[in-house]
Amino acid sequence: MDRVLSVLLDVVTSTLVLALVSLGLAVVFGLVRVINMGHGAMLALGAYVAWTCVNRGIPFPVAVLVATVAVGIVGLVFEVLVIRHFYEQPFETLLISWGFYLVVTELIKLVWGTDLRSLPNPLPGTLSVGGAGIGNYVAVISLISAALLTATALVLYRTDLGVKVRAMIQNRDMALMLGVNAPRMYRSVFAVGAALAGLAGALIAPMFSIEPDMGTLWLVRSFFAVIVGGLGAIVGGTLVGSGLIGGATVVFALFSKQVFAQTVVFALAVIALRFRPVGILGRR
Amino acid sequence: MPRPLGGFDRRAFLTASLLGGGAVLAPSLLSGCAPQSADNGGGGGGGQDGPIRVGVISPLSGAWTVYGKAHSAGFQMAVDELNAAGGTLGRQWEVVIADSRTEPQVVTEQANRLIREEQVDFLAGTFSSAERNAAAPVVTQADKLLLYPTFYEGQSQEFYPGVCNPNVFMFGPEPSEQVWPHLEYMIREHGGRFFMVGSDYVWPRETNRLTKQRLEELGGSVVGEVYIPFNTPQYGSLLGDIGRSGADVVFLSLTGSDTVNFRRQFAAAGMKQDFTVWTVDDEEAATSGVGPEATEGDYVSFDYFWSIDTPNNQKFREKVRSAYPDVIMNTVGVAMYNAAHMAARAIEEAGEVSTDGIRSALAGMTFDQAPQGTLTMRAEDHQATLPSYLVRARPGWTSPDDMFEVVNQVESVEPETAQCDDLPLSGA
Amino acid sequence: MDTEVGTRPDGQEARPTRAGRLRALLSAENVIAVVLFVALFYVPYFLVGFPVYVLPQYMLFGVLALTLCLLWGFGGMVSFGQAAFFAIGAYALGVTLRDVGGPTAPWLGLLLALGLGVVLAAVIGWFLFSADVRDSYFVLVTLALSTITQVLANSESQLTGGFNGMFVERVTLPFGVVDVSLAGDLAAYYVIFAFTLLCYLLFRYIQWSAFGRVLVSIRENEDRSRALGYNTALYKTVAFAVSGGVAAVAGALYATDAGFVSPTLGGVLFSTSVVVWVAIGGRHYFIGALIGGIGISILSQTLNARIPEYWQLLLGLLFVVAVGFFRRGIVGTILELPGRMRSRRG
Repeated sequence: MDRVLSVLLDVVTSTLVLALVSLGLAVVFGLVRVINMGHGAMLALGAYVAWTCVNRGIPFPVAVLVATVAVGIVGLVFEVLVIRHFYEQPFETLLISWGFYLVVTELIKLVWGTDLRSLPNPLPGTLSVGGAGIGNYVAVISLISAALLTATALVLYRTDLGVKVRAMIQNRDMALMLGVNAPRMYRSVFAVGAALAGLAGALIAPMFSIEPDMGTLWLVRSFFAVIVGGLGAIVGGTLVGSGLIGGATVVFALFSKQVFAQTVVFALAVIALRFRPVGILGRR
Repeated sequence: MPRPLGGFDRRAFLTASLLGGGAVLAPSLLSGCAPQSADNGGGGGGGQDGPIRVGVISPLSGAWTVYGKAHSAGFQMAVDELNAAGGTLGRQWEVVIADSRTEPQVVTEQANRLIREEQVDFLAGTFSSAERNAAAPVVTQADKLLLYPTFYEGQSQEFYPGVCNPNVFMFGPEPSEQVWPHLEYMIREHGGRFFMVGSDYVWPRETNRLTKQRLEELGGSVVGEVYIPFNTPQYGSLLGDIGRSGADVVFLSLTGSDTVNFRRQFAAAGMKQDFTVWTVDDEEAATSGVGPEATEGDYVSFDYFWSIDTPNNQKFREKVRSAYPDVIMNTVGVAMYNAAHMAARAIEEAGEVSTDGIRSALAGMTFDQAPQGTLTMRAEDHQATLPSYLVRARPGWTSPDDMFEVVNQVESVEPETAQCDDLPLSGA
Repeated sequence: MDTEVGTRPDGQEARPTRAGRLRALLSAENVIAVVLFVALFYVPYFLVGFPVYVLPQYMLFGVLALTLCLLWGFGGMVSFGQAAFFAIGAYALGVTLRDVGGPTAPWLGLLLALGLGVVLAAVIGWFLFSADVRDSYFVLVTLALSTITQVLANSESQLTGGFNGMFVERVTLPFGVVDVSLAGDLAAYYVIFAFTLLCYLLFRYIQWSAFGRVLVSIRENEDRSRALGYNTALYKTVAFAVSGGVAAVAGALYATDAGFVSPTLGGVLFSTSVVVWVAIGGRHYFIGALIGGIGISILSQTLNARIPEYWQLLLGLLFVVAVGFFRRGIVGTILELPGRMRSRRG
């Protein structure tokens, strides 16, 4: 029983951490149809900004906010300079954002060097959930992830802004006629996606090695989480996709070698994509 | 296994050129303007005058950049000392540094370039076993030496020419030197039930195999053995398994960013209070990456640590501080440093810069100026007899200066004999 | 645009007249190709040592770029998994030489590489294309393919030698009457040169053939092509299979030439490099991809030693520019200059 509970906790936290990392990607993909391959570099950038702040004596929560805003601004600049010219060509944006990844990763190396960095755990200690232990910080990140997902859902489905944004996805021309400022909307969405990446990067920084290439760790996993989860189903899709990719790896690893677990999960993701190209919760 | 070179007769060449250039171009060949013969053996080095040239291959970019700086700096520092003392045989030293980009295929390419284009006299470096293996066929074919600095899995004939190769010298420790001398201490202090976690490749598997063998002889046991594919971000399920395993010691041979991610998550899950951690990978640079709170009280074992207090190391630390204040020096950097000095002595002894001369002089050489103590290059299998240290990370350490305290040490460990077909390894 | 030149990738040209055919033969693209291959042919006459050793490997990278060019420039499918096929071919030859042996092992190994490349690509291709998985989704699947290849090559050490890699000797290829040993650099150079030339001609033939034109029409508008009765999934699958097969054979030749194979050869990093080469070289012309592959490899080798940080940065910037604003790439732009000037005048 103890074991079941602890595996369950692993599945939940793995899923929520992956969802946190993937949310920015999901927002951008779901709303403006851009597969942002630069997402990994944005995560790394968020982690580095947070690291710099903490090392200057700024408290960690503030550092996370600074990272969120800073990466949001970088995303905004990238949108204005490059991405906005290519919304009509989703495929080009994918490749260009890969270029963004290459460039930003190299810039990080130039600015911060290549030494491994680390941030102290802001909330050391553990708490016990019905007999199964969990790190305080992991618990907090998981809760933040859940809160962010809820907030995103509320914004999209319960506010005026959300209605406009969704109207724009459904029918851009119609939205334009109804007075939605589409270019500005696109820009905001992209910047919000970048800010979410920065936020996630800063939040996971204490649990991971901070290095220029840290985004590659998540590249394939978070893409699959978003796409397998479902097109247009931003919140539910991300959650389901993260559960499939993150949670299933945990479950498979119980019975088999780690390498087998990872391979099988990727293969399952490909099969899911084949039979439900719009994703599990997606709609055309 | 090296094939005879050449293998290239005129008829075969014609066939090739006909295939390649087409009939139009063939006449120019027949008229006698044949390609210049490409030399397979590589350049002859710098000859017997002019500077002594060494090619150093270091991971200066890519996944293992963090180790690259100490790696190349160690060699460069020794060479600067040699040059300041007037060189060797009256000749100055020149180092050509090449970046491996942490990709073995780049190592193959760069080893070739250094030997053929830069005409180096021998090679030093490469970082991972894969990089060493990529360089080995090249040095074998060109009959140059490779001085390899990293802790490694030991030698076994099936991995020839990467190991068991008369052209390769090992300056780092292998598991019987790095792990065995400290097993009794760990069992006595913390218990004999080990949970082994390693990256999914040869070095961790060999290290664990040898550790397990010795551990069982000493009455301990392995309660878990897991191999993690590279670039695994989350360790939730593994942490759970370890938590339930009843292990005393978590024995780590994870590498790269995985070791950092694992140890940070291990600490964040509050597991440090229940288990003792012993890693055989995380030298000063990787431990810096994991950070003080997640490493506090953990054990590491190597042949060298920045904080060991030998007279040689005190001098060495000062030199590093003045020449490379930004570099985190570690076992591989020191091995590179020793390799350069020992090669210089070998050249003095041989009286010439040649592969055979350096090889026979290096074999059996003892170097008492090594920062970690005294090092002997064993003649029969080119493995180094080295000191071995077990250290524990101090609470709240701030830099490599106060990172580790030595808890167990052995002045000199003979490595296990290499599992090679033809010992001793010699050029003949 | 100039419709007489018979080498435009969009296959829109009118049926060529005799003069048109001649001009087609003398098109800028063909002239550049001839210059490139003649230059490559004569390299060993002027240079010795390292360039003769390393250029064949870069030519094979060029072939890898060709395989992506067929998919991307002509079929409109970007694969982030070409390195996987390259590595699979390399391992296929290595394993055959190790476990089979004998004088015919090299041919067997090359055949196995070809077979594995074709079959794997065909299976994956059909599986995806028959369900109309395309564009970004296809990119993700190929990304997963190279990730899985690298992970498996690392962990299946019984077969592949794992992370520490596998040694592959230089083979001797029996050609009936003569045996060509690749042990000498010069022989290896010309055998790989010949292979590169053959691959280039093969891809140009595909471009010229009816198949190539259908492929381009699918890229332009897949739904229209389907409406016209073409089995677009089949066409795309065949293109992917050809591309996978050629990439695998190139990988096998790379293995024997370099002497060493390790899992990073099949990884995401190397796969994405191929995309960068093709984008910068020019994805609408095979010669652009080939020059991109060879040229950037040469530049990487020389510049990485001197300005490692800035070179990678520059490559990234060039990639963004090439993909976004300069789609013809460097070679494509040069090729289309005369036509543009003419049409401006007209």
